[in-house]
Amino acid sequence: MADTLPSEFDVIVIGTGLPESIIAAACSRSGQRVLHVDSRSYYGGNWASFSFSGILSWLKEYQENSDVVNESPAWQEQILENEEAIVLSRKDKTIQHVEVFCYASQDLHEDVEEAGALQKNHASVISGSPTEAAHSAYLPSEDESLCTVSCEMPTEQTPSSDLEPALEINDVEVTGEKEKRYDDKTCVKSASEEETSENVPTAEDTALPPKKNRITYSQIIKEGRRFNIDLVSKLLYSRGLLIDLLIKSNVSRYAEFKNITRILVFREGRVEQVPCSRADVFNSKQLTMVEKRMLMKFLTFCMEYEKHPDEYKAYEEITFSEYLKTQKLTPNLRYFVLHSIAMTSETACNTVDGLKATKNFLRCLGRYGNTPFLFPLYGQGELPQCFCRMCAVFGGIYCLRHSVQCLVVDKESRKCKAIIDQFGQRIISKHFLVEDSYFSENTCSHVQYRQISRSVLITDRSVLKMDSDQQISILTVPGEEPGTFAVRVIELCPSTMTCMKGTYLVHLTCTSSKTAREDLEPVVQKLFTPYTETEIENEEVEKPRLLWALYFNMRDSSDVSRNSYNDLPSNVYVCSGPDCGLGNDNAVKQAETLFQLICPNEDFCPPPPNPEDIIIDGDSLQSETSEFSVIPEANSETPKESTSLGNPEEASQ
Amino acid sequence: MMAIRELKVCLLGDTGVGKSSIVCRFVQDHFDHNISPTIGASFMTKTVPCGNELHKFLIWDTAGQERFHSLAPMYYRGSAAAVIVYDITKQDSFHTLKKWVKELKEHGPENIVMAIAGNKCDLSDIREVPLKDAKEYAESIGAVVVETSAKNAINIEELFQGISRQIPPLDPHENGNSGAIKLGKPATQASRRCC
Repeated sequence: MADTLPSEFDVIVIGTGLPESIIAAACSRSGQRVLHVDSRSYYGGNWASFSFSGILSWLKEYQENSDVVNESPAWQEQILENEEAIVLSRKDKTIQHVEVFCYASQDLHEDVEEAGALQKNHASVISGSPTEAAHSAYLPSEDESLCTVSCEMPTEQTPSSDLEPALEINDVEVTGEKEKRYDDKTCVKSASEEETSENVPTAEDTALPPKKNRITYSQIIKEGRRFNIDLVSKLLYSRGLLIDLLIKSNVSRYAEFKNITRILVFREGRVEQVPCSRADVFNSKQLTMVEKRMLMKFLTFCMEYEKHPDEYKAYEEITFSEYLKTQKLTPNLRYFVLHSIAMTSETACNTVDGLKATKNFLRCLGRYGNTPFLFPLYGQGELPQCFCRMCAVFGGIYCLRHSVQCLVVDKESRKCKAIIDQFGQRIISKHFLVEDSYFSENTCSHVQYRQISRSVLITDRSVLKMDSDQQISILTVPGEEPGTFAVRVIELCPSTMTCMKGTYLVHLTCTSSKTAREDLEPVVQKLFTPYTETEIENEEVEKPRLLWALYFNMRDSSDVSRNSYNDLPSNVYVCSGPDCGLGNDNAVKQAETLFQLICPNEDFCPPPPNPEDIIIDGDSLQSETSEFSVIPEANSETPKESTSLGNPEEASQ
Repeated sequence: MMAIRELKVCLLGDTGVGKSSIVCRFVQDHFDHNISPTIGASFMTKTVPCGNELHKFLIWDTAGQERFHSLAPMYYRGSAAAVIVYDITKQDSFHTLKKWVKELKEHGPENIVMAIAGNKCDLSDIREVPLKDAKEYAESIGAVVVETSAKNAINIEELFQGISRQIPPLDPHENGNSGAIKLGKPATQASRRCC
């Protein structure tokens, strides 16, 4: 690295998750000199998203489980007599119980045509190019070969569930495999049993009629860059704090969003759509006329429930679900309201919280579409990057792959004064923000963490087929037994730029009671069926088929009080990792609170000054060039295909 | 009224090769010797006619994130074109350029138009990178190539014209982003300002 870092800052931020990135942006925007580092090679920490090969590398990192060899220059000699060090962890312990299953057939059919898809000289980018496998990130360096990625499960017990036995994802050598699409004659090998690392190319070319969307594992590998697989699965409430912040700070210009198109429920073995907007309710075929009226009446009441305290005061002490029974609602409607609109459970929430949640849901309807939620194109992992860019635009300095060995604390004042980085460089600063996972066990020995159970699935069709296949859906499956938690299912279609054509990316999330697979597999089994070769010819197979599945547990540090960390100096602030909730309010609140501690009385991410983007309206300029003259900005319309709700980037003249 | 197409263009290249100067020259026809490492400007826009369309270039600067090799992938998401800049007086910068091209091929959008700019051609007496090398390389990757001087306003327009010509005409059926939502201020505000 030719460039060396400056040795003094106002704020050093360690970790590039969403809260850290928002704070970095806010501080930089307020004129603080910000250094933002992450020990990983990618942005976002546990908020990141990965291409398919990127997620395989990520998995490998956790499965190898090896301690990072410490080659860094010793920091000890740099600690003076009146100082002490808080050593940071060099190993991330936030991800556990990682299990991977591959159901898609792993055919290694060699004789397929190049199908015209060879573009330019570098069509090999995906197929087996040795660098592709590494981090979905970014810098042409230190990449590892795909061929080393094998996703065996580190579990003690072999998965002996009803699902097909797990496959080891073989060291798929796709080099030489050329693009193929329709000519893929279902030359699938049984994707099961004890295939080990050698793929025996027993492609029995059964003469089945060509089926169009038989996605194979090597196709997934080849199209791997089309995936953006989020580690956390969240949505943005269209009137939530994050949307407000994105708009206020103008960071929204760096991202584009899609509206969630459907709210679904799973009842009596079937997936149904929940009508939630006025139009939905009236168009619904599931509801009777009477039900429609009941629901509209109730929802209208919820919109301004505070004005009618007499209607619910008497029920304040009971759960929301009990309260709903007192209202004129059929069981059908009660189920919709409880699980899909208030998004709560039978026992979890009282009447007022339920009304509040219902009102919040309704308030968010219609701002951008028919449901209250937005999803960022390319995945949730874009959002931290957007705030980081804002920070950089205002002078913040960014260093990925940069770890910090320790914080240096002055014994007398009990304040942190510097960090010592991996190169042994001492960098002083006034404030230090550290993401929870960077603290060592010494610092967190008293911290009680919760866990989040996560699953990511690649499937071949939607859980609820409709005329349009580009649907983005959220589905809540209530916990079955008492003590288990509701599972949130978010299904993303290719137009969200998170999965390849012909597939859907499905995220499952719940608060953990056991390992992720134990928590989530029952729901996966209800909604999906493992992909197998012996497919019934019948096109109308009820359930979508699983092509690939990943389970893992993520540490939830969101509710940890600062006091539970040992001996933190007052100018060291802790940011938490992702929480289990659907929205991002927690991250924004946290960021704002910490920002106020660092920069009291400063505005939190105010809009940038107009000339930030220097827009030249051409009149005075460049008139001499002939064909290529500047056209004055006549208006600020964006192309019609994007629903632009304004034009943030236009500065005044 | 011609249709306006917004085209995101991202700038890549070593620190100090003149990425910002090129944009500054293109958009403002202005050159500043002491341009500080890019602060405060996240992107600039300029609209130019191309055939029967108007191309509105939204030119994204790196905001310095390339300095410690920490450019975020969101930077080239959805880019129609990339301008990759090297300094003809620095062989190293030409070497880095090749790394950027590789990076783009792997993680950038498919079908991105690449334009290579050998900047500082006003300093050809201390040149280290022969134009021939650049041309051969550009040809091998199917990129536009031109030597530029942001200082003397040489070939800057041509660079962007070259990009404009390479942009495939709008295909109404092919639009991956259809229905994407941009957040922002209420539309009324935008429509008020009209020349």
